[in-house]
This record gives sequence, structure tokens and C-alpha cells, in this order.
Amino acid sequence: MLSLIVWSPLVGALIVLMLPKEKVRAIQTVSFAAAGLSLLASLALLLQFDRGTAAMQFVERWMWIPSLNIQYFLGVDGLSYPLVLLTTFMSVIALVSSLGIKDRVKEYFFWFLLLEVGMLGVFVALDLVLFYVFWELTLVPMYFLIGVWGGPKKEFAAIKFFLYTLSGSVFMLLAILAMYFKAAPHTFDMLELMKAQAAWAPRFQILAFLGLYFGMAIKIPAFPFHTWLPLAHVEAPTPISVILAAVLLKMGVYGLLRIAYGLTPLGFAWFLPALVVIAVINIVYGALCAMAQTDMKKMVAYSSVNHMGYCLLGIAGMTSIGFSGAILQMVNHGIITGALFLLVGVVYDRAHTRDVSAFGGLALRLPVYSGLMAMTCFASLGLPGLAGFISEFMCFLGAFPAWKWATTISVLGIIATAAFFLRMIQKVFLGAFNEKWAGMEDMTPRELVSIVPLALIMVWFGIHPKWPLDLMNATVAQLLGK
Amino acid sequence: MLNLGLLKPELLLASLALAVMLADMILPPARSRWLYHLAWLSAAVTLGAVVFGLGKTSAQGAGSLWVVDSFGQFFKITTLLAAVLCLMLTLDYKALPARHAGTFAALMLFSTAGLMFLVSASDLLLIFVALELVSISSFILAGFERTNPKSNEGAMKYFLFGAFSSAIMVFGISLYFGAVGSTKLSAASAAPGPLLILALVLLLLGFGFKASLAPMHFWVPDAYEGAPTPVTTFLSVAPKLATFAVLLRVYATIFPVAQYELQALVALMAGMTMTVGNFTAFFQEDAKRLLAYSSIAQAGYLLIGVAVGTPLGLEGVMMYAFIYVSMNIGAFAVVQAVGEEGGYGLEAFDGLSKRSLGLALTMTFCLLSLAGIPPLAGFMGKLYIFSSAMEAGRVWLAVVGVVNSVASVYFYFRIAHRMFFLAPRNPAPLRVGPYVYGGLAAALAGVLFFGVMPEPLIAGVRASAHLLP
Repeated sequence: MLSLIVWSPLVGALIVLMLPKEKVRAIQTVSFAAAGLSLLASLALLLQFDRGTAAMQFVERWMWIPSLNIQYFLGVDGLSYPLVLLTTFMSVIALVSSLGIKDRVKEYFFWFLLLEVGMLGVFVALDLVLFYVFWELTLVPMYFLIGVWGGPKKEFAAIKFFLYTLSGSVFMLLAILAMYFKAAPHTFDMLELMKAQAAWAPRFQILAFLGLYFGMAIKIPAFPFHTWLPLAHVEAPTPISVILAAVLLKMGVYGLLRIAYGLTPLGFAWFLPALVVIAVINIVYGALCAMAQTDMKKMVAYSSVNHMGYCLLGIAGMTSIGFSGAILQMVNHGIITGALFLLVGVVYDRAHTRDVSAFGGLALRLPVYSGLMAMTCFASLGLPGLAGFISEFMCFLGAFPAWKWATTISVLGIIATAAFFLRMIQKVFLGAFNEKWAGMEDMTPRELVSIVPLALIMVWFGIHPKWPLDLMNATVAQLLGK
Repeated sequence: MLNLGLLKPELLLASLALAVMLADMILPPARSRWLYHLAWLSAAVTLGAVVFGLGKTSAQGAGSLWVVDSFGQFFKITTLLAAVLCLMLTLDYKALPARHAGTFAALMLFSTAGLMFLVSASDLLLIFVALELVSISSFILAGFERTNPKSNEGAMKYFLFGAFSSAIMVFGISLYFGAVGSTKLSAASAAPGPLLILALVLLLLGFGFKASLAPMHFWVPDAYEGAPTPVTTFLSVAPKLATFAVLLRVYATIFPVAQYELQALVALMAGMTMTVGNFTAFFQEDAKRLLAYSSIAQAGYLLIGVAVGTPLGLEGVMMYAFIYVSMNIGAFAVVQAVGEEGGYGLEAFDGLSKRSLGLALTMTFCLLSLAGIPPLAGFMGKLYIFSSAMEAGRVWLAVVGVVNSVASVYFYFRIAHRMFFLAPRNPAPLRVGPYVYGGLAAALAGVLFFGVMPEPLIAGVRASAHLLP
């Protein structure tokens, strides 16, 4: 079943490659069918997913390269399954938004589906080489998606993204190899390595952790490795910004929890004080940077840096509330920031500018749009009743017992977060109407289809967070139980 | 024991090469293309003979001049595969003078025969003779486009450097003879001492010329740029890999680097070769020069395996060598197809994806494989080589290797950038000859298949990693 989820986009991509490039409608249909199949299959797992166990579920395991003991080993637990759901869901949402792509459609959908294969694979792979292959598989499609269909500085953004991420991941590869040779018998199996790591010396664990962390931190992105993010997010076309924010950043946090924490716990514990500092910098510095932006998309991009800081803070607490909060924050951030990028894309498509000061009073003419935008912003800044509040609160609650000062400063960071969102709302939607945009239309059905489901989930997770939390509780308990 | 029967494939290839030369005299000039067909068929038949004889015999011949072992057979297959593919590319290369088709084809075959001797040689005398056979054929091949000044310049530099490095090598051999008392490669009668170590260092420099290791790499960009593209393709693959077979035989098996205190030197050379190759490639504006520097860098990755000297390193080099054939020939085949029409400057690649998406994607896959991005074959090769360095505790060598891999992405993607992001200068679809298509299909199949399913190759490498003393 997991194979079906992972590989159906690849089948779609190959079919797209064979279709003639004039048949735009057929290409789009095939892409939707492939991504939709993946979504349906991942939803079908809900029926059988056992919330009470921390063990890997739906395991698929074959030898891939027997000579090196590399396996094709897939499985999900409470940590990865919510992210798989997030990926398949956000991919379909981004595909809806991709219908607006008119140029080189065939190549676009080919790379997009390839990207989805890589993202899904990262979350379900339980063999380190397989994990690494999927991890890198996301790079090339992303390079082309940003570089061909992006904004004015797209080519620089694309190569910067590629080189930055790759330089992190090769060190991750070396750490993986070091762990492989350290384990006896040599293995890349994550579950086996989790058992084997108990015998590893702290010095080795610290070195291996640093290698892993370097790869993950760039992806998250944790300060000071965040500089690729604003550029890539701003230059990417809207659907790709959505995917970048909603899924790609989660790969980093997921890797941190699953691999860096799971395989080198002593290294992780050694690094913890630094991680807290990084989390606080991410929160405060990200929020302040966002406040300084006049470009709405850039502001949302920096808000991602800020929100990933909450995740890191929750993890650094090393409590079950903090871990659950961090995982939930990943999902919520994916939904909320995805929606924000879509909404910014809506206004950019009409006005061809994203400068906050270019607008004013839009609430008068575009009530639906303004309502959705305001709600998403409130969800993002953590207004109670919406999704963001629950997870951010849990992150703080989880971190507070261990890191009182850091949590206090971070909570103050929320004020900055609220400030930049409210300032944006004020400038764009309130005040006198800028007559330049008199002809602007409210949202089209296609845009509503992509954004309304996200808004509904924000409300649902805001008032009933038990549902997503139940998925991850057993796994979180086991992660901390060792 | 003479054991001349062990030499059957080499004898077969050499006589077929002579037959091609004779046919050149008989055939009318209008039929000169037949000679190329004859040539690649000869290489293919020899390949068949080697494959057919796999695992049957494993013995020494002519006293101790050469050994036929599974390790040598593996590299013979690799070399012959490269020769077949390069000769097929020649069929679609139009800049060659038709009048000398036979000479060209025969020289390629002679060069290949020399490489086959080289990988089996276990005596410095035979190694030297085989290397000279390869070198002299290559000098002529590199300068084959007589009317092209660049071809002349490249061949001249190649020749001067070759003569220089032969001298170094002969000096090394004479010192070796002084230390050991014979030219046979064997540690049994050798007394480890400064003389022997100096001899091994000089030999290493001599081999370094053929394998394009820094600091013996200066001829590479000029010779590669000037040579006819199929010859460049051949030079970048076959002689390099065969030389690595010798390097492995000498420095990983008979005189293990660790025992002769050469490990640091070889590791340093590996690091230098990678770094010089990759960082100089940044500034190249000519596709052949760019790939020339890339092939220098690739030699550096291969040398990691020699520097490590463990069984895993040996297997890593063998595996990477095999994969390197497909990815490098694939990249050069695209360069040939593009360059013949629009020149070899990088700007000829502008907008290739709009002119021929298949060609652009194939090039991208080959370049990504050279850079070591999964799930392509190059990644599996690099994984193997870097893990050998990690296993041996040479972490810094692995770090230099991965940092170089990241840097290489930058210049490989300069080509990808031009192919996918820029507008074509000439919007007409690119016409690609049938033989280039064949070569490309074979290369792409190798790059994709061994990336996803490396197990057959690893199993083959493991079975072949046995050297006779």
C-alpha cells in the first residue's frame, strides 16, 4: 500500500512524459489521477492505522542491494503518517493551483510528480540509503520547477537552493556511512541502528549527529542556514512555494526527529542547549525579518523561518507535549502557510505586485478573499480557535519546564509575529480603497477549490486537535520512552 | 610456460586491426564507411571472445609477463565496451577525412589492444610496451584533423607530455630493477627501502599521465579539445580506466600503499586531482574542455579507492569505472551531436530542451550521474568509493570527495541551465545520427539501470575482484 502511495506519481510522470506536449488537458488529467490515487491510498490507510501502537505499520521490506545490505524498507508510524497525509493532500492542492501554469505544461507536471515521489519516499523510507535517495530526488525537480517557472531571479534562486541543500546532505551521507560501518553487522536499517546506537561512544555520536544535523538544518531551515529560503520561496511559482513551505521544510524536522534524535541521542542531548538558542533566534529573528518586508511573499517566507523555530523549540523541550506540539505544528504550518502562499498568489495574479503598500481597502471589493486571508493570518499568528494556536501553545508548554528563559523570549516573539500579520492586514485590506485596483475580481472557483479545504482544516484542527494528536501519541511516547 | 592460448582475445583484436588496414587498401574510397563498421564489429567480436572465456582460465603466461585473471578480464570488458561505443560514435562524426578511415579505425583498435595488454601485464617491461602502443596510437588519433590547428596543438602537447612522462617512467623502471633485480612486479624479492619507494613514486607519476592525475594533467584539456570528438570520448574513458587497473594491481595489491608509506602521497594526489579538475572546470566556456576537467576530477574520485587500498576500495574503483563508461560516453555523445552542428562552445546548448527534449534530458541524467546525484548510477559508484574511505577511517578524504561533488554540480548545471532555461539560438529541431542515438540509448540505459538496480554490477565486481600475483 505504501508502495502504491509512493510510486503512483512516478507512473503518472512517465505517462506524462509520453504524451504529446500539445495535449494539455490530458497531461493535467493524468497528473490529477496519479496524485489523486496517492491521496486516496493514503486516506485509505486511516481505516487500518492502529493509533495504539508505536510500531511501524504497513511495513514493506525486500532486499534491494544484498551485497551492501541495503533494503527496500517502507513503513509508517505516528510520526511519519501525518506527514504522508499532509504531502499527498498538499500535492493535490498545489496541482489545483498549477492549472494556472500555461508555459511548458508537460515538463512542469513531469517534474512536479517526480518531486512528489521524492517527498513521499522520504517520509516512508526506513532504510538510510533509500531515505537518502528520496531526499536527493527532490532536488532536481525543484531546481527545474523554480528555475523555469519562477520569478525574475529564478535561475539564481534555483542553483542556490540546489547547491545549498546538496552541501548539507552530502555530510548527512557521510554520517550515514559512518554509522553503517559502526554497526555490527553493517546495516542501513534505521530500526536496527536504533538498537545498535546504545553501544556507540558519545564522541562518535556527537560527530555523527553534527553531520546529520548539518543536512537537516539547511532543510528546516535553522539559523544560520536559512538564507536560501526567502530567495527560493519568493522566486518559485505559487504552487511550488506551497510545496516548499508545506512539505520540503518538514523533511528537515522529520529527519531531525527520526534520524538525528533516533540514531544519535547522545549527540542530540549534547547539542540541545545550542538547539534552543537556534530555535529562539529562528523565532525572534524570523519574525523581525518578516516585519521588515514589504513584499507579501517574502514576509510569508520569513514567517516560515519563524514557525519552524516553534517546531525546534517544542522538540528541544524533550517532553511528550513538546514533541506532539512540534509534529502538529509541522502539519499546521503546512496547511496554514500553504494557504498563505496560495492567497498571496491570488492577489499577485491580478495585480502583478505583492507590495503591501500598493494596496488598501481591498476588503470592500474582495470580501471573500479578504475573509480567507484574515482567517489564515490569524491561524498563523496563533489565534485561539484556529489550528496554529494549539500547536504553538503545545510547543511552548513542552519547552517551558526545561527552558524557562528561552520560552519566555519566544513567547514575546509571538508579538512580533502578530505585528507583521496585522500590519499586512491593515495595509492591504483596511483603510482607503486604492482606485487603481477597481477592476479586481474576487476569487475564482479554481482558487476557492484550492483554498477552502485548507481553511476548513484550520478550523477543524483548531477546535478538535484530538484527532491529529491521537495519530501520533503512541509514537511520541515511545520516542521519549527510551 | 608460454600459455600463448591465454592471449587469444588480444591476438584476435590485433589481427582484426591489421585486417582493417588491409581492407583500407582494397576498398574503394566511396565505401570507406564500411571500415568503421568493420572496426566496431571487430571490437564487439573481441568483447564476445573475452566474455565467452570468462572464468575458464586464470593463469600466468610467457613466464610471468602477463596474468589472465578475473580482475583483468573485467577491465578488458570495460575497455572493449568503451571502444565499441566510441567507434559507433565515429560513424556519425563528419569532420574526419574519409580517405584515412582505415588508418583511423585501425589505430583505435591498436590502442584498444594495447589497453588489453596493459590490464593483464604483471611485468614492467610489458606495461611499458603496452603503454607506448596506446600512447603512440593516441597521439596520431588526437591530431587526426590535420586542417584543424587546435587538433595539431593538442596532439603536439599530448606528444611532448607523453614523451616526458615516458622518460620518468623508464627512470622509475630502472630504479625498480636496481632495487628488485628484475622487472617483474612482485614484492617477494623486493627489499623495501628508499630506492624501491622512489621507483614506485616515479612509476606513479608515469601512470598518472595516462590516468590524468594532478600534477600530470596539463595535457588533458588541450588534447581533449583538439581531438576529434569520438577520440576525446575514447581518451577520456578507455586509457584512463585501464591505467587504473594497473594502479590497482601495483598499488593496491602487489605493493600496498600503506606498507610503502605512499598512502599520504596517493591520497594527496586524489584530493588535488579532484579539486583542480572541479574548480578549473568552473571557468570553461567550451563543452569539451569542461568535460575534460570533469574527467580529471572523476579520476580523482577513482584514486580515492587506490589510496584506501582495501578490498572495498578496489571493488569501488571497479564499479565506478564501469559506470563511468556509460555516463561519460553518454555526455560526450550529446556534446558530439550538439557540437557538430553549432560548435563546441557552451552557447551551442542554449535551449536544447526545446529543440530536442530527449537529448536534453539524457544529457541532464548523464551530468547528474557524473555529479553523483541519486538515483543514477554515478551515485552508487560514489557511495561505494566514499564508503571505502569511511571504512578505512580516511574521513578527510571522503569529506574532500563530497565537497568536490557539490562543487561539480555547479559547472555541470551550467550546461543544464543553458539547455532548459535559455532560448534556443536556432529553433530548428536538432538532427541526431542513428549511431549517436544508439550510443546514447546504451549509455542512458546503463546510467538508469545501474542506479536503480546496482546489484548485478556489484555481484559481478565482487566475483571479478581476484588478482593473481
